[in-house]
Amino acid sequence: MRASKLRAMFMAMAAVTLAGSFSPAWSADVHPVTGEALSDDQTFTYRLLDQFPTLDPQLNQDVSGFHVIRDLFEGLLSQDTEGNLVPGVATHFAASDNNTTYTFILRKDARWSNGDPVTAHDFVYAWRRAVDPVTASPYGWYLELTQIVNAADILAGDREPAELGVRAVDDHTLEVRLFAPLPYFPAMTTYATLFPTHRVTVETHGAKWTAPGNMVSNGAYVLTDLVLNEYHRRVKNPAYWDSDNVIIEEVTGLVINDDNQALTRYRAGELDHLQPLPAGQFPALREEMPDEATSVPRLCSYYYAINHSESGHPALKDVRVRRALSMAIDRDVIVERLLKGGQWPAYNFTHLKTAGFVMPEIAYATLSQAERDDEARGLMEASAIEDLTLRLIYNTSESHKQIATVISQMWKQKLGVTTELANFEWKTYLNIMDNQEFDLARSGWCGDYNEASTFLDLLTTTHGANRGKYSNLEVDELMSASKTVGDPGAIYAEVEQILAEDMAIIPIYHYANTFLLSSDMRGWPYDNVENNWYSKNLYRVAD
Amino acid sequence: MIYYIARRLAVAVPTLLVLIIVSYVLMYTAPGGPFDTERTLPPEVMANLQRKYGLDEPLVVQIWRYVVSIVTEFDFGPSFQYTDQTVNDVIRQGFPVTLTYGAWAFVVAVLAGVSLGIAAAISHNSLLDYLCVGISIGAQVLPNFVLAPLLTLVFTLWLAWLPGGGWQGGHWSYVILPVIALSTSFMASIARMTRSSMLEALNADFIRTARAKGLPMRQIVVRHALKPTMLPVISYLGPTFVGMITGSVVIDVFFATGGIGQFFVNSALNRDYPVIMGITILAGALTIAFNLAVDLLYAWLDPRIRY
Repeated sequence: MRASKLRAMFMAMAAVTLAGSFSPAWSADVHPVTGEALSDDQTFTYRLLDQFPTLDPQLNQDVSGFHVIRDLFEGLLSQDTEGNLVPGVATHFAASDNNTTYTFILRKDARWSNGDPVTAHDFVYAWRRAVDPVTASPYGWYLELTQIVNAADILAGDREPAELGVRAVDDHTLEVRLFAPLPYFPAMTTYATLFPTHRVTVETHGAKWTAPGNMVSNGAYVLTDLVLNEYHRRVKNPAYWDSDNVIIEEVTGLVINDDNQALTRYRAGELDHLQPLPAGQFPALREEMPDEATSVPRLCSYYYAINHSESGHPALKDVRVRRALSMAIDRDVIVERLLKGGQWPAYNFTHLKTAGFVMPEIAYATLSQAERDDEARGLMEASAIEDLTLRLIYNTSESHKQIATVISQMWKQKLGVTTELANFEWKTYLNIMDNQEFDLARSGWCGDYNEASTFLDLLTTTHGANRGKYSNLEVDELMSASKTVGDPGAIYAEVEQILAEDMAIIPIYHYANTFLLSSDMRGWPYDNVENNWYSKNLYRVAD
Repeated sequence: MIYYIARRLAVAVPTLLVLIIVSYVLMYTAPGGPFDTERTLPPEVMANLQRKYGLDEPLVVQIWRYVVSIVTEFDFGPSFQYTDQTVNDVIRQGFPVTLTYGAWAFVVAVLAGVSLGIAAAISHNSLLDYLCVGISIGAQVLPNFVLAPLLTLVFTLWLAWLPGGGWQGGHWSYVILPVIALSTSFMASIARMTRSSMLEALNADFIRTARAKGLPMRQIVVRHALKPTMLPVISYLGPTFVGMITGSVVIDVFFATGGIGQFFVNSALNRDYPVIMGITILAGALTIAFNLAVDLLYAWLDPRIRY
């Protein structure tokens, strides 16, 4: 019933397109599921803060690039509007050998935009390409993270890409072997690095294969225009297996660096979606445009890294000082007075909206701020450290500066601790962090996938983003054990307790995304904490 | 004259070479590298990237290779940041944009600025003079990062006449606001310079002689005073023109034009070495060329100058 209606709808549309004009019959059409009347205009224009560096799925490491790649390519699995896994190119999968072997069954009707069938070989080719030293993907480590057999050795040049633990059993069966059990492996296939690529296209065009006109893709959209730092456009892909259910015809991304300028252009009707908003303006915008301004959780945590290494301040080796510093921060002030965008005060690392994560009862989170302040003063006195001066670094940004200033005031007033603030532009900042030339450093971490280990693994000894060099054998062992148990929830809770007790980092807040979305747009994944939106799920209703 | 031009061009080559070496070394010594990210890359991944882009070689070898590929193939290398693009792609796309709005802004700034300056000078201390000076000071104190958002507010949001940004291949409606925003302060400088230069010229002995002979004011200004007036203005215009056509980061950022100014700043922030180098060399070569052009114009304007 639904399918036939939809088919009729698209046939009508095809006829209209052929005639070269839109007829009112189309506007009378309705959404196949919800029955809402659809607008004549099924285009979507959104703002990008910066130009994405690449559209090559295997090379991408950028959030805004991923928004586009997700539309152009389709991986084994996708996410629905709530972030749950749904079939992509794979219709279903099975895990065996204690979560170390995964077999994905691919749909037979999946096609590349040039009509070629999408097969298991395309995935094998792409995944090998991701770890091939010749490709030199900055995201090659993602395959190491998935524990796929031999990924690390191939990246290091010690084995051939063909030895990667992925195999096409036949055209429609893909078998993946892992070194260690990884219960969330299927969720990781929703990221760009594990999307398929079309071998002939890559080999024919080399680095230029992603240019409009060259690119062959298998997603709901194809790339038609790309002008760096100006805009790109993608239009519906008729070869996509589910194209009958794709409503938005054309998606345009405009690169607008300046937040205020972007807001003016949103107000002028040039944009349907705007993110991020100018700092601190969310409350006013929500007042002004209640149907359009929204705040949703975003899977990132904001914290101050503490330098635990040799070069860190000796006073920070004292857990009492670390706890005092953390407790003296009034997070409610930061969230409610400075950020004002629906963020949550944080007393732990893992974002509170992470899938399957149950927030443990962190002792100092349950106190009132007055009680925390008292305890902080007591701890500081007990440590007998006086005239403490700490160097707090942050990367140049108005918001980081405000937060750092407020926190340094809190420390000065409550603990008598002096803070030297220093800001650096991004690359210099990373360099300083890598060399541990700080006492405290503004940090943020966004989940690579929607599971608590994406946060907690960071505080294990060998993690690449553990720039404070926190090292706790107990945490390392627990996190290692968490990979093999059926339900790691209890382990995550225990790790959070240890981190809070030890004050490994100073958690400050959990992110929220604030954005404006045109009031006639529907299908936005408000409940997907990774903010992974697929244009194929969007549609525009008639006024 | 030909000999002079040839000599200047011959000097340009070592100048550019020095520019390349100094920029490369400066860039190389800046902290942080092109592939540093939030997550420290595993050493094997970093090594593959360094190898792919030849960054594992000694600095001298890198510079040598770079210069050789420019000279032999006119190849400025791949972009580290935009991995699907080469520096030639970036310049091919971004330079025409800034050249277009920069050249238009230049024309507007020169025509409006010189006219205002002359009008003010010949009616010295009159209401018209004050008006012209007022306009040019007003334009001067309104920097383009203030003017640009104001223009969009008025012409995009309130009047809905012009788009608030983009380029669309240089359609006129996208060009107007960048041109206004970029030309205003230059126009002001040119106006003030022309006015004071013209005032000086009008007080010179040969002008007094011309007046004494009873020549009409119009003829005095156009035939006799304009040329000497333009000398200091022209020496300002050479580098200004290069600055305008190689882009303004403010204009590119506010009007999202995709112009080369934004690439220049972004590439420095991203440590995208080849793009920094490519644009630096482009700007350097243009500066050398236009300085030469200005010097030649001098000789034409002032018969006392001979090369």
